[in-house]
Amino acid sequence: MTDVAAIERAAGLTRRAVLGGLGAIGAGAGAGALHAEPAPLRFGLAMPMTGGQATYGQDQVKAAQWGIEAVNAAGGVNGRMIEAVILDTQADARTGIEAVNRLISVEKVPVFVTAWSEVVKAVAPIANDSRVVELSVGANSPEIARLGDYVYTTFPLAEVDITAVARYSATTLGRKRAAVLFINNETGITAAQVYRNAFTRAGAQIVAYEAYDPKATDWTGQILKVRLASPDIIHIQGLVADTPQLIAQLRQLGMTQTISSYSAIYNPRLIQQLGQAANGVIATSLAPGASDSPAVKAYVERWKKEVGREPNGLPYTQYLYDVPFLITTVFRSLDDHGRPITGESFREQMVAIGTFQLPLTGKLAINPDHTVNKSVYLMQVQNGAWTQLAMVG
Amino acid sequence: MEYLYTIAILMALNVILASSFNFVIGYGGLISIAHPVFYAIGAYGSALLARDGGVPVLLAIPAGALIALAASVLVALPSVRISGDYLLIGSIGVQLGILEAIKNVGWTGGAGGLTNIPALLRPGTDHGVYVALVVALAVLSVLLLHWITRSGYGRAMSAMRDDELAFAALGRNAVAMKVAIFALGCGLAGLAGGLYAHYFRFLAPAQFDILQSAALLTMVVVGGMRSTFGPILGAIVLEVLPQAITFLDLPAGLLGPMQGILFTGLVLVFMFIRPQGLIAAGSVWRGRALEEGHAGQS
Repeated sequence: MTDVAAIERAAGLTRRAVLGGLGAIGAGAGAGALHAEPAPLRFGLAMPMTGGQATYGQDQVKAAQWGIEAVNAAGGVNGRMIEAVILDTQADARTGIEAVNRLISVEKVPVFVTAWSEVVKAVAPIANDSRVVELSVGANSPEIARLGDYVYTTFPLAEVDITAVARYSATTLGRKRAAVLFINNETGITAAQVYRNAFTRAGAQIVAYEAYDPKATDWTGQILKVRLASPDIIHIQGLVADTPQLIAQLRQLGMTQTISSYSAIYNPRLIQQLGQAANGVIATSLAPGASDSPAVKAYVERWKKEVGREPNGLPYTQYLYDVPFLITTVFRSLDDHGRPITGESFREQMVAIGTFQLPLTGKLAINPDHTVNKSVYLMQVQNGAWTQLAMVG
Repeated sequence: MEYLYTIAILMALNVILASSFNFVIGYGGLISIAHPVFYAIGAYGSALLARDGGVPVLLAIPAGALIALAASVLVALPSVRISGDYLLIGSIGVQLGILEAIKNVGWTGGAGGLTNIPALLRPGTDHGVYVALVVALAVLSVLLLHWITRSGYGRAMSAMRDDELAFAALGRNAVAMKVAIFALGCGLAGLAGGLYAHYFRFLAPAQFDILQSAALLTMVVVGGMRSTFGPILGAIVLEVLPQAITFLDLPAGLLGPMQGILFTGLVLVFMFIRPQGLIAAGSVWRGRALEEGHAGQS
């Protein structure tokens, strides 16, 4: 599809003319001539390319495209190239359903990648019914592990990093009174519960537990309640878009306590947006940073050189870069065994392989309960830069 | 094929929603935008009855429609005593309030959404069966509404909408008629909700927010308010058009704004160029003001 569009642009032809020409070639020359090059192996990529989450979705798609380029440059799947069919979900359940239905029934992909918890959950019945593998890459709702036989994640769910930051705060940092501010949606509610459970299990106390509306732009009421509770740490479970504003308002209202959050805010933009107010903020990262891995360092440098900036949500883009490598490993294994590539065979082979060594996120083990375990990097803003505080797990 | 089935099902559901919304807002003259919330009540009611209550799906779907109908009566009884702008504001409040309740109650799945909703069809059944069912119910809904609006009751509705005071002076009960119109329209939205829930098997409050109201309003305005076939055409056009755009392989930077302005752009274009919509209402239903306007121009 992309190739046809490129031909059209290059030659200034109309789509109808190109399709007509291709039809004539097909009729005249026969199928053999068209199959001189083996057809690429395809997978689906259903991500938010437009809408409020597009800033992150577009960077993640770019990362996946770089991963595909790297796989193909290394020979693809025993000489066959891989290709992604990219469709927009707008991070919206209904648009996601339409996109995934098209990937499965029109594009006939055996596996597709998607993200954002609401979309991941909405399309799960389609994946299970169609016996096509859904790989969730980036969504962290704990419920994702229970969505059915054909739904897997390559990204650790909320239990992993939220538990780590809660335990670290209570034990290593010695904080005993936490306030939790969370967005009233899937991401916020479930992760806030995980934090509350982990923090109290570590012998500390939750002194304030306040939800805020996803469309909120002012949090004065919640912040005043938190202030009255006198916490010694404030944990924020929000979105990339609202957390910097919330932190800014906390600081403006004189709250000087340590602020922690999760992987969504591990982002250079947070420091640009908050300036001095960002100092001391703790975030989690579920992938090694540039200082931990030469491959990640080279990847970040490529972003700066080609795009002129670091990617939005660096760890998430690392996972997206890696997913074509995982898919290629499974495709190659199926090809080596002479098995047809279907959703069912993909699932069986992926589970049989179990452990994958990936270039930017390292070792990935897919557990039988559909979860994955990864190390958690605790990052803190110190002197205007993200600095590694600790590695857990 | 599954993709086409999905589009067909969404089109048929939108036909039920747009036609029933047209019945309330167009024929009944009740300016409410809370229609999607009754779609939500039908969907959640049916899904919860089947998932947690063990009610067979085939019974849960009409039960969901009845729950939506009952809820609409509860909303209508105090609301229809007000009209015009006040009813519009009241309906926004109802929509926001009910969606907030769904978001904040655990047994609805909260903001994260309701999963594991049982399907109507057994695994392996051709989904074409579901398409046939939804299309058949859409046709029946349209025929029912067409029959009502073309009956004596429909003429009474017209009289009530055009001059409520004169209608009441003739001894007719305008409040009872408004409640009945609102209940039937919302009950049909609830039926669409149940059909949606047991096919797509995931519900989240965001699917029924004010954007859905805007989409329904666009379908009715573009198709043609107070006509039987207008909302059908509007529902089909506005389901197919965004899908067709995605096949153009446009860059994301262009595709996003195009989809974004599609709905608002269409409403503006139709308001200025063809306010009667693609299919104009029959003369009985054009309304007095429009008739007078035309008479004045001639």
